[in-house]
Amino acid sequence: MKIINAVLFLACLAVMFTVPLWADQGILFIAGLVLVEVVFALSWNLLFGFTGLASFGHAAFFAIGAYLCGYALRAGIGAPFLLLILAAGVAGAVAAVLTGMVLLRRTTGIHLAIFTLALAEILRILVGYSTALGREDGLASIPRPSLELGFASFNLASGEAYYWFLCLAATVIAAFLWLVCHGPFGRILVSIRQDPERTTFMGINVPAYRLAAFTISGATSGMAGALYAPWAQIVTPESAHWIHSTQPMLASLLGGAQSFWGPVVGTVLFSIINYSTRNLVGLSELVIGAVLLVIVLAAPSGVVGLVRELRRRLSARVSQTGPGTEGKVGPKGKLVQEAA
Amino acid sequence: MTTLLNVDNVYKSYGSLPVLKGISLTVEEKETFAIIGPNGAGKTTLFRVMTGEVLSERGRITYSGHDVTGKSAHDRVQLGMGRTFQVARVFPEFTVEENIIVAIEARLRSRSERPLPWYRTRPGSSVREEAGALLQDLDLWSKKATEAKFLSHGDKKRLELGIALAGKPQILMLDEPTAGMSPSDRIATTELIIRLRAANAMTVVMTEHDMDVIFGLANRILVMNQGEMIAIGTIDEVRANPIVREVYLGKEMYGADG
Repeated sequence: MKIINAVLFLACLAVMFTVPLWADQGILFIAGLVLVEVVFALSWNLLFGFTGLASFGHAAFFAIGAYLCGYALRAGIGAPFLLLILAAGVAGAVAAVLTGMVLLRRTTGIHLAIFTLALAEILRILVGYSTALGREDGLASIPRPSLELGFASFNLASGEAYYWFLCLAATVIAAFLWLVCHGPFGRILVSIRQDPERTTFMGINVPAYRLAAFTISGATSGMAGALYAPWAQIVTPESAHWIHSTQPMLASLLGGAQSFWGPVVGTVLFSIINYSTRNLVGLSELVIGAVLLVIVLAAPSGVVGLVRELRRRLSARVSQTGPGTEGKVGPKGKLVQEAA
Repeated sequence: MTTLLNVDNVYKSYGSLPVLKGISLTVEEKETFAIIGPNGAGKTTLFRVMTGEVLSERGRITYSGHDVTGKSAHDRVQLGMGRTFQVARVFPEFTVEENIIVAIEARLRSRSERPLPWYRTRPGSSVREEAGALLQDLDLWSKKATEAKFLSHGDKKRLELGIALAGKPQILMLDEPTAGMSPSDRIATTELIIRLRAANAMTVVMTEHDMDVIFGLANRILVMNQGEMIAIGTIDEVRANPIVREVYLGKEMYGADG
């Protein structure tokens, strides 16, 4: 099973890196957007799928990073691009710490979701009023930077060059988030999602861990925004819109929020559905709605969860290893109930 | 004997309803201290005040020399307190082994022997070995790969005890450790607690309804009624107390449950 996973993973990486070699400009642009949204969705799901916190206004952190990067590139202040991405991460982290310190102390459930939604909408409206940020029109014609690494310099002006940079950046951020999720820190976050009180009685300062997760998520969302600005070359207040906040949610639900790779699968599937229904006005929403409905009803743990379940059943059938494994699989009805 | 936990004249009310009216007690090192009383007596609130889930309005709580009156629950755990819940709380999506591993890792992190955030707990690591030893001790080794949500009630209770023990507590707070158990499970659990208490040189504070369990485990007992202390002392002293006999033992000794 490990070999299959590794092969699958390498195949995905290969497809990702070779898009400019076989796809046209339109698909290349969409593929770049997918990479940005993947980083954004993974950031969001660190909160939802791992820590059990629902933020409905995550696009605000994305927009902060996007505007910061877009503004700096347009102003031509000459800061290295990597530094800009880091600065966007810091800005996202600071925004997350400030909101998290106020919100997480008082609320974690539905109230947190509504508060973050409200804050993001306030940010969007404020940005729309700001002349320096281009009001409702946003910042247009953002130049693509060149990457100065001291020993070498890469011009990222072309679509292919910037796309490859996006691939690398998304891989690095995803790897960082993977490590965060899969070590003791991530396990404690998952414990908090399952039972915060029990976790408290393991000596864990639950509010502090929640704030840490919120901060990391805000930082990587800001970085996703910073990667987005030079790719789309335009940033508008729409990037902070609540509809954009729903993107990572829908992707995580479709792909499977309990799995690290679920949001990635979900983002890719969404883009494929969007792309294949692009000529049928209104149909893409219909298809996405129908797919989501089916997934939520039939496989509440998402596509990744569904695949895992099928694999588990398959391997249980292949090797009848006694009552231990059977108990682990459990009755389907129960799994569905628990996950819902 | 040295005093480990000292509760001094603690008051607590929910709204206008007084729940604790000046409770004082001391728990000595390595003793087992039980809190009993009819439903609504304030046992659970006293328990929660001691663990830090609820803060008292008046009075002082010291724990092994530290004033912990205003300290949060996780701070008290870091000082050496462990706790189980009336209805066993385990991490349902984790396997039995992961439940213990995460508790060990939490102890290491909170006592600043923290493994790196991305450190991976591999087979053969000290954390895995410690978890394995604990699971064998609790007779859960054969179920280590089972997700905790599929465990029976008794197994969940034992696993929760394991989570608490993984924190290497100096004092273990057990909230009705045998609630909802069959008579044979009660006996087994009592024996398990006696064994673990001796092996880990632990102090135990517990609430319990079952008198056989109390008499089998406790050295000293606090009897509560309507937020007040009726009696405190050794088993024999409490048994001999006429008020206790009237309020609690005589009437509700075998009647109260849950």
